[in-house]
Amino acid sequence: MSTGAHGAPDHTGGLATMLSITARIQRRNALLWVLALGASMVGTAAGVASLYDTPAKIHSYAAAVTTGNALLAINGKVEGIDSLGGVIQDEFGFMASFLLPLLGIALVARATRREEEAGRLELFLGGRIARHEPTLAALLVATATIAVTAVLFAVGLAVSGVAVAGAVLYASSLGALAFVFAGLAALLAQLTRHARDVYLWCVMALAASYVLRGVGDTTRTWVGWLSPLGWAEKAAPLGAQRWWTLAIPVAVGLAFGGAAVALAARRDLGSALAGGGVGPQHASPALRSPFGFAAWLHRPAILGWLAGGVLLGGMMGALSRQLLSAMAGNPALAQAMGIAGGRPLDGFVAATQLYLAVIAAGYVVQAFGTLRAEEADGRLETRLSGTLTRIRWLATHTLVVLGGLIIVVLVSSLVLGLATAVSVGNLAELGPTLASGLAYLPAELVFAGLALALYGCRPRMFFIAWAGYAAATFIAFLGPGLKFRQWVLDVAPTTHVGNPPLGTAQPAALIVMAVIALVLAAVGCAAFRRRGVPQG
Amino acid sequence: MTTAQFVIRTEGLTKVFGKVRALDGLDLAIRQGEVHGFLGPNGSGKSTTIRVLLGLMKATSGRAELFGRDPWANAALLHHRLAYVAGDVALWPALTGGQCLDVLGATHSGINKRRRADLIQRFDLDPTKRVRDYSKGNRQKVALIAALAADAELLVLDEPTSGLDPLMEQAFQECVRNRRQDGSTVLLSSHIMGEVEALADRVSIIRRGRTVTSGTLAELRSRTRSTVHAVTAREPDGLAGAEGVADHHTERLDGHVDSRFTIDTGHLDAVIGRLHAAGIHTLTVTPPSLDALFLRNYEKSPTPDEADGDVVAAEAAS
Repeated sequence: MSTGAHGAPDHTGGLATMLSITARIQRRNALLWVLALGASMVGTAAGVASLYDTPAKIHSYAAAVTTGNALLAINGKVEGIDSLGGVIQDEFGFMASFLLPLLGIALVARATRREEEAGRLELFLGGRIARHEPTLAALLVATATIAVTAVLFAVGLAVSGVAVAGAVLYASSLGALAFVFAGLAALLAQLTRHARDVYLWCVMALAASYVLRGVGDTTRTWVGWLSPLGWAEKAAPLGAQRWWTLAIPVAVGLAFGGAAVALAARRDLGSALAGGGVGPQHASPALRSPFGFAAWLHRPAILGWLAGGVLLGGMMGALSRQLLSAMAGNPALAQAMGIAGGRPLDGFVAATQLYLAVIAAGYVVQAFGTLRAEEADGRLETRLSGTLTRIRWLATHTLVVLGGLIIVVLVSSLVLGLATAVSVGNLAELGPTLASGLAYLPAELVFAGLALALYGCRPRMFFIAWAGYAAATFIAFLGPGLKFRQWVLDVAPTTHVGNPPLGTAQPAALIVMAVIALVLAAVGCAAFRRRGVPQG
Repeated sequence: MTTAQFVIRTEGLTKVFGKVRALDGLDLAIRQGEVHGFLGPNGSGKSTTIRVLLGLMKATSGRAELFGRDPWANAALLHHRLAYVAGDVALWPALTGGQCLDVLGATHSGINKRRRADLIQRFDLDPTKRVRDYSKGNRQKVALIAALAADAELLVLDEPTSGLDPLMEQAFQECVRNRRQDGSTVLLSSHIMGEVEALADRVSIIRRGRTVTSGTLAELRSRTRSTVHAVTAREPDGLAGAEGVADHHTERLDGHVDSRFTIDTGHLDAVIGRLHAAGIHTLTVTPPSLDALFLRNYEKSPTPDEADGDVVAAEAAS
């Protein structure tokens, strides 16, 4: 790059350089997000289009899900639900309300505070990059990724038969939702000291948005207008089509992003609103023991996923009576929720248990991913240079992870069971609810076995565990509703459990899955004993 | 000397990662009670050697012994007797420095509490701060204190002072000397020649996974050439052709004769005799610094085979 007059170097290249760096760093991550989100949306749209292929079917679905408030609280209020696009929006609503904000949060947090924390930002700022440019570049790259995702959404919807205007508005409203959270993440990245705090505060904001939107929809008041999720919903792409509502998330996102860029230009490198506190001078005896240390290491993952399970179980349980009476009034609702035949309450618990199983499996994959991070970051080398043997180290961590799994499953099921019992006024539901939660353990252990085998044999391939988890989750959630072929459904371990308590748990299948998990775990342990540490 | 006196011994050690030969027949012998400097450029295999010695990685071929036993088969057992500072110090960001010290200490066989407190003070570490808020130097201190406070017979230190300031460097050298006096053995991998020169009893220099040279500093120096600069009244007799002399330059300056040459240490006495006969005005004899030894080993030895012991003279800067 050339410089201008002597003593006054021209600075125009800084942003372009920073943009290409950020794009290079983010490209794999962004591509994965776009593909995963695009596939979920297109898969959902295509599935709904083939399943609800007559106006009559769409009408009965619409009538079903608008009975009562429970589904309004969960999936959101879809204006114009009596249409193909409406059904798609309703089916995709729950997933979209988490995935799109997370898209914005993850893209920005990764490129801002994490880089600063790792000391890489200092390298850039020591070069020809101005202080505000990394944040601006992160926002621009995130916005571009969001735009590509939105375009994919719009095309997917239009191809599935949704009117173009509705498809474009729906895709835009989801893109704008992601944009708000990208801006929020950029702002929080200026205020907090560590990337994990950016995630934490953003996820709390997301949870608050979800609650506000639910309250607004069920009480039919203005409260929903306080929530970014509410703004997306009020665009009503398949109803009144209020294009102007897009201005709200865009303006708020721009305000957040602008504030972030302005702050980045003014503040010191490495500074934050919250200073680093002090802590104990000595480690507790528990922390010094291998077991206690493993428990400390896995505690954040256990608590995080447990919080998700408890919230979901509590929410579903509390809504159970409403849902049941809605189902009694409209049998098509059960169909729409994927609950067919049998006792409605059992079907409802079974559907919730599948969600809890997906949460538990996610926890397991993340927990073994922590071991991978320990090694990649170089801490395992230090750990194993002491008197702890490898196999004892791995066994201790595996035990703690499994203990955490049992806590996540039992406590979530207990909350679901108690909330359901309180809601329907019958404590007899508690036992079957707990039992059905435990029946999913072997399926969750298959994920543990896969993660452990990958960690032991090829730690660099650990992302396969996440890919498998994502595929299994997609199949488990949308496969049955969208009538996937049986062999596709069979790929997801949860398919083999037998959908308790609506169906009966399949002991033979559970035993086979437990054996598969054991074999995978044994392979992982044996390989870990033989391989070199660390493998970066 | 029997194997029992060696704390660490490797013979023909090789380690292959895919197509890369990280170690290619490395020989290393470290005697009990010595501080052994372990030198080599980046990527020469120092850290890999240490990981094999700790049983973290399995050698592809060759023999490695730690306290006379196979480290791969007995890793955790042998670790009771040593403490290790890894080349890339990685700690748990959410723990405080003090907590990290105790966690690391618990992985060693025992931590000396008085020494821990003493070292915290000497290295001027705030143990209540979180690791994520520490600078690189402070993280390094945590790892160092944990190793130095352990009751270990052997300290394995992989570039332990990277990131430390000169004051801390001095404190470190003092601690290592103390430990040596107490009878501990130290394997010190380092880039800082001054540190190795100040601490090491013996030195091994490796290159591309092979030992290039090994011995006490005096031995290494005696195998190499000193630089001589002499100003004499007359032209020294037969200096250019004398045994052991090379790189000879001479010129006349203000009626004196100014001679510069390098010399095998073994022939120094005879040559000084010739200079004396020519009437010495001034004389400087500069033994090679470790820096120069190190650089020479890398600049002038195309293949490791011919490098062993055959170190070309060093030009000492004056």
